[in-house]
Amino acid sequence: MILDPLLDLLRGKAVTIPPMDGALRPNTMLDDADILKSCEEPDNIMSVAEKLVHSSGRDIFAMNSGKPIASFESDITALAVNPSGIIAVGLNAGGIVFQKGKIPPLDGFNCPTTLAFDGAEDLYICNGSDTHSANEWAADLMLKNSGGSLWHVSLASGERRCLAKNLSFPYGLVVDASNGRVIVSEAWRHRLVSIPVQGGMPKPVLAKLAGYPARITRKTSGGFILCLFAPRNRLIEFVLQEDDYRNAMLGEIDSRYWIAPSLSASRSFLEPLQNGGVKTMGIHKPWSPSRSYGLIVELDSNFLPVTSYHSRANGTRHGITSAIEHEGGIIATSRGGNLILRVTPEAGQA
Amino acid sequence: MTSLIEMQKVTKHYRGVPALREVDFSLEKGEIHALLGENGAGKSTLTKIMAGVIEATSGKMLYRGAEKNYSTPFQALSDGIAMVFQETSLVPSMTVAQNIYLGKENFLNRLRGIYISAQQFLQSLNFTVDPTATVASLGAAKRQMVEIARAVHHKAEVIIFDEPTATLTPEEKRHFFALMKRLKKSGVSIIFITHALEEALAQADRITILRDGELVATGPVSKFDRDTVVRAMVGRALSNEIYNTTRSAAQIRRLGKKILSVQDISMGNSVRNNSFSIFEKQITGVFGLIGSGRTETFKIVAGIYKRDFLRGGDIELDGKLVRYLVPSEAVRDGIIYVTEDRKLEGFFETMSIAENFYSGLLASGLEKSSVINFQEMRELSAEWSERLNVKAINDNARVIELSGGNQQKVVIGKALIQRPRLVIFDEPTRGVDVGAIAEIHQFINKLADEGLAVVVISSYLPEIMNLSDRILVCRQGRIVEEITPLEATEEKIMYAAVH
Repeated sequence: MILDPLLDLLRGKAVTIPPMDGALRPNTMLDDADILKSCEEPDNIMSVAEKLVHSSGRDIFAMNSGKPIASFESDITALAVNPSGIIAVGLNAGGIVFQKGKIPPLDGFNCPTTLAFDGAEDLYICNGSDTHSANEWAADLMLKNSGGSLWHVSLASGERRCLAKNLSFPYGLVVDASNGRVIVSEAWRHRLVSIPVQGGMPKPVLAKLAGYPARITRKTSGGFILCLFAPRNRLIEFVLQEDDYRNAMLGEIDSRYWIAPSLSASRSFLEPLQNGGVKTMGIHKPWSPSRSYGLIVELDSNFLPVTSYHSRANGTRHGITSAIEHEGGIIATSRGGNLILRVTPEAGQA
Repeated sequence: MTSLIEMQKVTKHYRGVPALREVDFSLEKGEIHALLGENGAGKSTLTKIMAGVIEATSGKMLYRGAEKNYSTPFQALSDGIAMVFQETSLVPSMTVAQNIYLGKENFLNRLRGIYISAQQFLQSLNFTVDPTATVASLGAAKRQMVEIARAVHHKAEVIIFDEPTATLTPEEKRHFFALMKRLKKSGVSIIFITHALEEALAQADRITILRDGELVATGPVSKFDRDTVVRAMVGRALSNEIYNTTRSAAQIRRLGKKILSVQDISMGNSVRNNSFSIFEKQITGVFGLIGSGRTETFKIVAGIYKRDFLRGGDIELDGKLVRYLVPSEAVRDGIIYVTEDRKLEGFFETMSIAENFYSGLLASGLEKSSVINFQEMRELSAEWSERLNVKAINDNARVIELSGGNQQKVVIGKALIQRPRLVIFDEPTRGVDVGAIAEIHQFINKLADEGLAVVVISSYLPEIMNLSDRILVCRQGRIVEEITPLEATEEKIMYAAVH
């Protein structure tokens, strides 16, 4: 109705979140998934010459080894490999460095959240924020920043171009060269957008997600795998509307106890959301409001959700930041659960 | 032994069209006699003759051995024959207690006294209905309860129940069947018209089956099973066609695009923070007990009811927020609600089939002409009567003269003429015979196959399990569970609806 924006001032805007139903119907697939590896905060996973490698803190590990294959001075925030085997590494301290080859580091990126090669020399970079580092993502959300950007760097010429600005924490990207576009997940706007490779206005392809989207990868069958690293909940959405409260919280409270999304359920008694609806007779309710959650969504080639895999409020395999298809299964990193998991899609729900 | 009621060679013609042809029927004292048949088979006509609502064209009716020819229901009731109608005959503006005592009032009445005795009487029947509530404020199920209570209260010797359980919850049905058994024990004879064949087979002592106004079979219940009953009713085996609840994964449609997202909508106590999504290209089944808020929820979606003004939640159609003030806005956006109460909300009963179809077109705003185009009306009626297989003498027949199944088809056609994108069917087969159920189910499936988003609200679990590609269960004003047809069992759905 035309008067709704005016009437909303009187009646208060409802704090609403899209329901998790249909293809997003909750299950316990992530909690039931096989554990491939336990390690500290595994983050970005990728396949290099058919072998899996992942980042964990400052190190890059091969899946079948506990010994790092490379270490850096800062936490690793993004990984990508090109067909020649050159690995690009984004660092929390800022900048992008390259393993193998003689490519000079790229500076000027203070928050590289995800990287992707198109061919050997075209590198796409999402810079999550212009004011915060990748590990300070919660502060970026609480300040409602939209300082993210998408860049294209030609490794051959060194030329760099900004394809899109003012993105709200772009956290995942996949290059769709055949359609001349890049698909980017904008975490704080809960959506996937399509951006032309020449640069231009972002166009939503999947909006109003029930969580904060992270990395997105392509499936061999033509669809995509999208990770959502944290759920939206009404309390957090409410806090995001209350500026005075939020500023006081940011100024006075330890960031671990903010009413903000989280990668893991710490179960600390100091944590918010301990009351009423969370536990009944000692049992943690799976459907209770939660700051953290585990969620992977399979999308078809038109970005419509097809299947999803969950670790609910009572689970521990939360904070899924990266997932790839590998040997008929999905390998996912649970940053909050300190695990690398293998999910078998055949067992997924329709 | 002479029968309590004996109908001999009873024939009834409507405008020269035979509705009953030389039907014989007998009712013994203290028996439950199920009367079965498709819509239009003549069940209601036969029982209405017994209850004095209509008069037979020819034939005889004997009651306690004496020939009777009632010209009013009051005469039949005075003789001890009461009928509980499918479409209730209560006075909407009067209270429940007043309706129960209607026609049995004393010269001087004390309202408080009537309420107290009505309360005690309703409690004795295990019916949870407030005697001081006006009938207009009650839902269909509770109206049915009042109707039943009224018949029992009149201490009738013969009670005719026309589709008594169609609106009742499983719990209420159990109470109702216990009541029937109690009445039977006290010597009351019961004629029980139902479309739920299992109920007839489980509760009746004898079964009589009519088809196209003729008697097809009659005998003790032990002579029948579901298949023989269906074969007798429709002349072919339909049972598995209609309720084939075992479906493979390949038979279940995949999700299409999300068309509707309902987030935290609330309306008083009946809908509370309800959230769900509806997708194109599939049928979403919504199950819930009466009073669970499922109808109210979807009436909000269709703009018939208003959600709470303050923090009433959001409804997004194709990602855009909508808040409808009147249903026509929803209709223009492609949202159609096909009502559960067809007589009251579904059609204009004194208008013809063609006029009803045309009224759907007028309401949709698709008709550009400001003058009624009779040629277009006739063409529209012919097209939709054929598509939906509406059986009538011609398209000038008034809808009130059609059987329940054909009336329902008119309601559906009237809605679909409006070219919807989301169709909400509320109890689409309530009071509809098995033949028409199969046709309506087939039509609903076709709509989903054509890419429409379809919602089917139903209290009948086999229907929900057979039709749905995903099942939502509603309890206490909100969707509490989503179940896939592959994992759905009647127990699982009912558990979610009750606990």
